Amino acid sequence: MEILNELRPDVDFENETALIEDGILDSFDIVALVGELNDAFDIEIKPNDLVPENFNSAKAMMNLIEQLQD
Amino acid sequence: MSYTSLNFLFFVIGTMLVYFLFPIKKHKWVVLLIASYVFYLFAGYKYVAFILFTTLSTYIIALWIEKISESSKLNIKQHKDQWSREDKKKYKEKIKKVKRLVMALALVLNFGILAFLKYYNFFSGSLNDIFGSFGMSFSMPTLKLFLPLGISFYTFQSMGYIIDVYREKTPAQRNPFKFALFVSFFPQIIQGPISIYDSLAHQLYESHSFDFTRFKYGAELILWGLIKKMVIADRAVIAINTVTAEYNSYGGTALTFTILLYALQLYADFSGGIDISRGVAQIFGIDMMENFRRPYFSKDINEYWRRWHISLGNWFKNYLFYPLAMSSLFLNTSKKIKSTKFGSTVAGTHIAKVLPTSIASFIVFFIVGIWHGAYWKYVGFGIWNGGIIMLSVLMKPVFEWCHKKLHINPKTALYTVFQILRTFVVVLVGYVFDVAPSFKQAINTFVLFFTDQNLSVGRSQISNLGLDKKEYLLILAGAVFIFIISVIQERHNKTTIRSMLDQKPFIFRWFAVFAGIIMLVVFGVYGSGFNAADFVYMQF
Repeated sequence: MEILNELRPDVDFENETALIEDGILDSFDIVALVGELNDAFDIEIKPNDLVPENFNSAKAMMNLIEQLQD
Repeated sequence: MSYTSLNFLFFVIGTMLVYFLFPIKKHKWVVLLIASYVFYLFAGYKYVAFILFTTLSTYIIALWIEKISESSKLNIKQHKDQWSREDKKKYKEKIKKVKRLVMALALVLNFGILAFLKYYNFFSGSLNDIFGSFGMSFSMPTLKLFLPLGISFYTFQSMGYIIDVYREKTPAQRNPFKFALFVSFFPQIIQGPISIYDSLAHQLYESHSFDFTRFKYGAELILWGLIKKMVIADRAVIAINTVTAEYNSYGGTALTFTILLYALQLYADFSGGIDISRGVAQIFGIDMMENFRRPYFSKDINEYWRRWHISLGNWFKNYLFYPLAMSSLFLNTSKKIKSTKFGSTVAGTHIAKVLPTSIASFIVFFIVGIWHGAYWKYVGFGIWNGGIIMLSVLMKPVFEWCHKKLHINPKTALYTVFQILRTFVVVLVGYVFDVAPSFKQAINTFVLFFTDQNLSVGRSQISNLGLDKKEYLLILAGAVFIFIISVIQERHNKTTIRSMLDQKPFIFRWFAVFAGIIMLVVFGVYGSGFNAADFVYMQF
């Protein structure tokens, strides 16, 4: 959550559920986010994982991270 | 057979009848496949070998990739107890390399053909010039190459599929004929949209029965597309072609006018064509993705490229931009900048965050530029768009600082209008590279914009471009009409004009449709032999 808020302080990540579909996060945000998440959680997010379902909400991102940590 | 020809209308009606009356529901898709190949043969039987090659090579290689994935998974399962975590990881890496190599084979083969047909003469010509300038008599022959119909679009679509199979996002299609339909589906073969396998293919293979609402909406969309294309674009193109034929004899004012007219013509032509494609598909029960979302209302150039030719943008984003920007080279560059002394400053943090990404996007735009054609002017087009995006992202904190210092609230309506106009000007500059016959002439055009504005000369030149005053007025009226429709669409983002029209009284509805038909029949531009001008994007 901290990473998200730092990336885009103007977005309400607690409640948004269509971050990608509504175009709130653009491709530049996504790449920056991937870099941060990779480092913070020691994972490797691949272009395959970049589907809207994985990034539409903070919860979806958390699910992706947990999945990749396994 | 152009989408705007009467032949095409009869072709669609014929295909519709056969499709909806076809008794074996399970095999309805075969009708679409046959229709697509009939359509393609009309374009020229010489072309068929190319599309067949792409279809077959992609079909086989996709199955091959899938086989490697499946057998490797089986192997891992069988050795579950024997292999350590490390062993498993090593094995997976090895398999990944093999898969990547096989995928590369498909990419090299198919993009190779496209590149050869598109760029051979450019390279041979440039090489000959270089050798010539050294006084060598070596020369590579110039070949008479033709571009098969829709080659860019079906190549992009097929390669997207191969990458999706490689990424295990989609299973490989086992039926070669079904796959052939995905590659050749006739409403989209000329100029896209470039569909993603997962969202289009199953719709093609399902059986659809006739649905009057779909038919009505599809037909209305086709009518709207035809009006944009035949009443506005095909009329405006007459003046544009007159200018490009003798580009150097026009002054700054006439050229400014031409570029503005081109912005209208290109949008009306391309979005009109896509509306026809999507309308035809809709009648058959198939929803194709949106390709335009009022791009000229964009507030910055990034947004513009997300709203203009959306399917191509998505393709480049998913299959080139993300892999590039997320490659270890780019992500590590970002980390390296961060770890320097400069990286700990405010500017440094920002640059570390966005520089590698903006370089990746610059590369993408450069490639999009030269995809338009092997000419230096398209290199200019790519560098302009990529460069502006790079600058706008890098300088974002500076702009925000300026807003604060100048007490500008970026959310006011006035500022939004300013942003839209600013973006439009950036887009127009890009169009100059498109319209001007060469890079040198494009640069010269910019000089003329500032040094050669003369209203009376411009007026007389504009009145001699093959269109009279009434026709210019008609184009203007068309532009205003598109503008009004676009504003309504922009305000009612979640619904369509057609469903809004549906809620109006019966008489109003029929009047609107009838007026559209009359407009098309009376004001449509019909060239010799009823053939409208080719779609601009057909040539790519």
